[in-house]
Amino acid sequence: MAAAVSTETVNITVNDIELVVPKGELVVEAVKRLGLEIPIFCYHPRLKPVGMCRMCLVEVGFKQPDGTVRKMPKPQAGCTLPVSEGMAVYTDTDAVKRDRKGVLEFLLANHPLDCPICDRGGECPLQNNTLAYGPSTSRFVEMKRHLPKAYPLSQYVTLDLERCIQCGRCVRFTEEISGDSQLAFRFRGASMQPSTFQLTDFESKFSGNVIEICPVGALTSAKYRFRARPWDLQTSPGICTVTPCGTNIWFDHRSGKFVRVNGRTNEGVNEEWTCDRTKFGHDFYNAADRLATPFRRDGEAFNAASWSEASQAVLAAFADGGEGVAVLVSPTLSNESLFMTQRLVRDTFKTNNIDFRPSGGLAWSERLENKYGLDPVGGTIADLEHAGSILVFGASLADEQPMTFLRVRKAWFSHGARVVVAHEVATEADSFADVVLRYNPGSAAVVAAGLRQLLAKVEGKFTPEHVESVSGVPADKLRAAAASLGENGAVVTTRRLAKPAAEILAVAAHETGRTFLHMGPHANTEGAAALGALPDTLPGGVKAETAGLDTKGILDAAAAGKLKALWLVGVDAFSLGDRDLVSRALENVETLVVTDYRPTESAEYASWLLPLALPAEQDGTYTSSERRVQHMGAILQAPGEARAQWQVAQELAARSGAAPVFSTSEVRSLIDSVAPDYASLTMAKVIDGGELLPRRGQSPHDLEKLAQTLGGL
Amino acid sequence: MAERKLLLEHAHDPAYATLDGYLAKGGYAGLKKALAGERQAVIDEIKASGLRGRGGAGFPTWIKWNGITKDKKGPHYLICNADEGEPGTFKDKQLLEQTPFLLVEGMTIAAWATQSDRGYVYIRGEFVDAARALRKAIDQAYAAGYLGKNIQGSGMDFDLYIHLGAGSYECGEESALMSSLMGERGMPRLKFPHVPLPTVAGLWEKPTIINNVETYSCAPFILANGGEEYAKLGASTKNSRGTKLFSVSGHVNKPGNYEIEFGTTLMELLDMAGGMKGGALKACVPGGSSVPIINAEDCGRAVLAYEEMSEVKSMVGSGGCMFLNEHTCIVSFIWRTSLFYANESCGKCTPCREGTKWMEQILRRIVMGNGQPGDVETLKEICSQIDGRSFCGLGDAAAWPVAAALRVFPEEFEFYIKHGRSMVTSGESVAMAPAWQQAVLA
Ligand SMILES: Cc1cc2nc3c(=O)[nH]c(=O)nc-3n(C[C@H](O)[C@H](O)[C@H](O)COP(=O)(O)O)c2cc1C
Ligand code: SF4
Ligand code: SF4
Ligand code: SF4
Ligand code: FES
Repeated sequence: MAAAVSTETVNITVNDIELVVPKGELVVEAVKRLGLEIPIFCYHPRLKPVGMCRMCLVEVGFKQPDGTVRKMPKPQAGCTLPVSEGMAVYTDTDAVKRDRKGVLEFLLANHPLDCPICDRGGECPLQNNTLAYGPSTSRFVEMKRHLPKAYPLSQYVTLDLERCIQCGRCVRFTEEISGDSQLAFRFRGASMQPSTFQLTDFESKFSGNVIEICPVGALTSAKYRFRARPWDLQTSPGICTVTPCGTNIWFDHRSGKFVRVNGRTNEGVNEEWTCDRTKFGHDFYNAADRLATPFRRDGEAFNAASWSEASQAVLAAFADGGEGVAVLVSPTLSNESLFMTQRLVRDTFKTNNIDFRPSGGLAWSERLENKYGLDPVGGTIADLEHAGSILVFGASLADEQPMTFLRVRKAWFSHGARVVVAHEVATEADSFADVVLRYNPGSAAVVAAGLRQLLAKVEGKFTPEHVESVSGVPADKLRAAAASLGENGAVVTTRRLAKPAAEILAVAAHETGRTFLHMGPHANTEGAAALGALPDTLPGGVKAETAGLDTKGILDAAAAGKLKALWLVGVDAFSLGDRDLVSRALENVETLVVTDYRPTESAEYASWLLPLALPAEQDGTYTSSERRVQHMGAILQAPGEARAQWQVAQELAARSGAAPVFSTSEVRSLIDSVAPDYASLTMAKVIDGGELLPRRGQSPHDLEKLAQTLGGL
Repeated sequence: MAERKLLLEHAHDPAYATLDGYLAKGGYAGLKKALAGERQAVIDEIKASGLRGRGGAGFPTWIKWNGITKDKKGPHYLICNADEGEPGTFKDKQLLEQTPFLLVEGMTIAAWATQSDRGYVYIRGEFVDAARALRKAIDQAYAAGYLGKNIQGSGMDFDLYIHLGAGSYECGEESALMSSLMGERGMPRLKFPHVPLPTVAGLWEKPTIINNVETYSCAPFILANGGEEYAKLGASTKNSRGTKLFSVSGHVNKPGNYEIEFGTTLMELLDMAGGMKGGALKACVPGGSSVPIINAEDCGRAVLAYEEMSEVKSMVGSGGCMFLNEHTCIVSFIWRTSLFYANESCGKCTPCREGTKWMEQILRRIVMGNGQPGDVETLKEICSQIDGRSFCGLGDAAAWPVAAALRVFPEEFEFYIKHGRSMVTSGESVAMAPAWQQAVLA
């Protein structure tokens, strides 16, 4: 990252082997082209090189006109030195070996070497480098440094100062990547130590990453500490399902139990990072009250029952239920589960009463793709990195779309993108925004209309002065924002932003040739929408002939006693808001079926309680907020008889006469037959890094409709 | 040879620290000449003068000045390094307090030559009097149109600011100084060839010159009298021209700053400082605590000039010249020196952070009477593992004095380790240690 790597190449030699490499590439990277490795500690390819640890010292010389090599008098840090024409690098001379021994001897002098009880033992770069390059004995006979061994930096991160080798990776992460600058070095010399400021908590939404990039066992997970040794762990590739980003993770487990999450590299999505929700938010796999068998209510009590009994009971209540039955599904279920559930609801229950949206949503004809033919998600997370300017509108990205936040920040930090943030409240992105537009609650659409007018250079009533009078955003700021956004770039917002604002932004982005991302809040919001878990939309986005009830309509109908049966699949109705309405609704349906991984508050009202297998306990695909379809295999075994929802749905359908479906790949074939977007995917790509759903390609928008929307403001 | 005062000529006249007094003694003649001619002419004069950096490294000043692009696209910065943290060195303090206008004029000349818009004088935090004197001088220069907009009608704008350090030796290292000036932790930054030179991308990534107080203070004389005139001084040496301030301290009768022509011998300097006090000459650290110590014999043949000093395996450095008499315990002296470097290591790189501490621990153990066979070899090894391997010059500066002491006075270390006490029995040696240390030594 130090010097920009160019397309120009230079000729160098590494250990006398000739090599052509891009000019400006760092020596540590260049030697990898020969399969060589220079040992490192402080260098991290995603952080600015600092040359602190000196582990990577190599000998460097330059070819002279007479063909000889003149070596530089001092060894050079390979992690900070960009290659240049005629450079000769030596990674393996006696001098280099001596220097490495020297650095390791220094690092080990005060190191506690408590490897047997260290969480890093077995995966420790210090151990590994010592084995490969270090001295065999220590001449250090002085008192070792004694420092706090288990200092809690936050509820998640613990610092063992004795093990720290002062490489600064953690400090640089918070400065360069997460941007919260929560860590800094205190004191100097041998007393230097990473620390939070004035011993406050390590307040970050991305703190877990420092545990992973720490090259020793100094930063450890407060949760994982002493839980297992790395060599006891099994690890499997997974996808995070607690955030909408589709973050790629390593799912570590031991004896069938979930242990910890680590970031897995996917350049398109999370690079190698995780947010703390991903990193520390998977403990529910080990919940003590996991459901392992179906339960039937008998009076006040719940009694274990068989799946066969349960299936019969559900069918009895729902089959051919029509208007009188409804299903609410969670947008964190897999594509397969959502698809099979809506199919069951439509074909067997004979109703369109299905919804995944916690709080309302747009009707079919109001959605961007149907109203204007515009892609709600027209770009990718990675696209943002090279967008010259980015408008973040009405979203607290660090909370809502953590990986998108990191990419926007990277666009600014590494590529100098100009960022404009518009929101009602302060957000993390304000810290690096070129212009911040703070608008009054409820005035988002007017601000969006004002920005559109400036960006698209059209006339209208939303002049900066008018916008100021409504939103409180100073007219000059709005102009500055438009100027900063320039002629092209990207617009990022989330589904949390109310309708007219998002619509106006979408059109504005299209009019001015910007990438538009309108990102959904859950792991599979996009899949749920695309595969028909909606009352007015069938798989493939086809409009249903007659619309069913949406979430609000379902709860209202239930409360009014108009629903005979309601099925909550992975949804705790009490999380949907209005507790009064929810409790009336749950009380007034005859049959309430709750499918979940543990008893929720809604379960107290249930006639049947069905155990749900969690995402890592089944094979499935998920469509992330950038509409990337990714796959996760079954990593763990579901407890007892807990089942994936697609299996439950297929069994009910089969019992009512539908052809049985035996596997998720069969489900995917069914999906492909009705959803052309999904049919275009190749499973190999979905498994390896994920594949994006095809973009619609923007058709001309209908300014008449926009005029109506604007007129309504 | 006697003292040769170019900079200190009027130092003891309090009026010289005022603009009127300075002008009365011919001040600002250099700037006037500079402004009357081409910018490049200034650099040519500096080149002809043979001026080399007085901050320690002796780098030819004109090369730095000439390295600033002539095709100005954005701001150019000028920094004066007045951090003067090297133990034994106190010349910049006197220059700031008594001849502040030499610095102000010198920097203005440099600003003209390099099209710099702003200058920062980074003054060691403890130098309160020096900062006050410079503040007064800067204020007077502004009032009389020697700083600020359109200086002396030349159309040149130049602003000069003072920044006080916060007490870290490392902040005298030029890139750490820039970090500190930019509000960051006082840690050094990557250097050429890893990143461009500061003359290309220095402070805030803009073209930047950094020079020592004394270096800038030489410019007025050079411009007023011509580079060739300046270069006549020190003509007897290989490549050292002009005068140099030496801060003489230690066991001498008249410690203080002495300005001498390059080529003066070390013994002449000792004579100027009134000769040895309390005992015969045993050793000298001629250029500040980081340069290698030399014994009395080498003192006898040492000639004060950059290349010549390497003949006695030492350096001119920053000119902090410490004479030690026969009662000095070299082991304790070196322990104290190494304690300084261990304390001042910024912590950025492994060799210096860990090595300086380790050396200090071993030396402390020896001084406390617990030396062990093998300690000397370990110390030598540690020195070689630091020297040239650390991130910045502080690591080297910490290793050199120890390595040199082990080379020049091996018998003292051997004796101390073997007998658990100093070869030098006089109380003098203990008196060198600060009060808290004496308790440890007792
Ligand atoms: C650890 C360390 C401390 C230094 N301290 C000072 C100092 O206090 N004053 C100074 O002028 N130069 C100091 N230097 C030298 C500067 O880095 C730099 O070389 C000098 O300011 C350049 O000015 P010059 O060319 O005029 O000598 C120090 C260097 C090192 C490595
Ligand atoms: S950090 Fe590495 S070397 Fe240190 S105790 Fe842990 S495993 Fe051992
Ligand atoms: S805690 Fe870890 S990452 Fe941070 S400086 Fe220490 S060794 Fe490096
Ligand atoms: S040598 Fe290393 S630790 Fe020492 S002051 Fe320089 S950068 Fe800091
Ligand atoms: S890896 Fe190069 S100095 Fe640390």
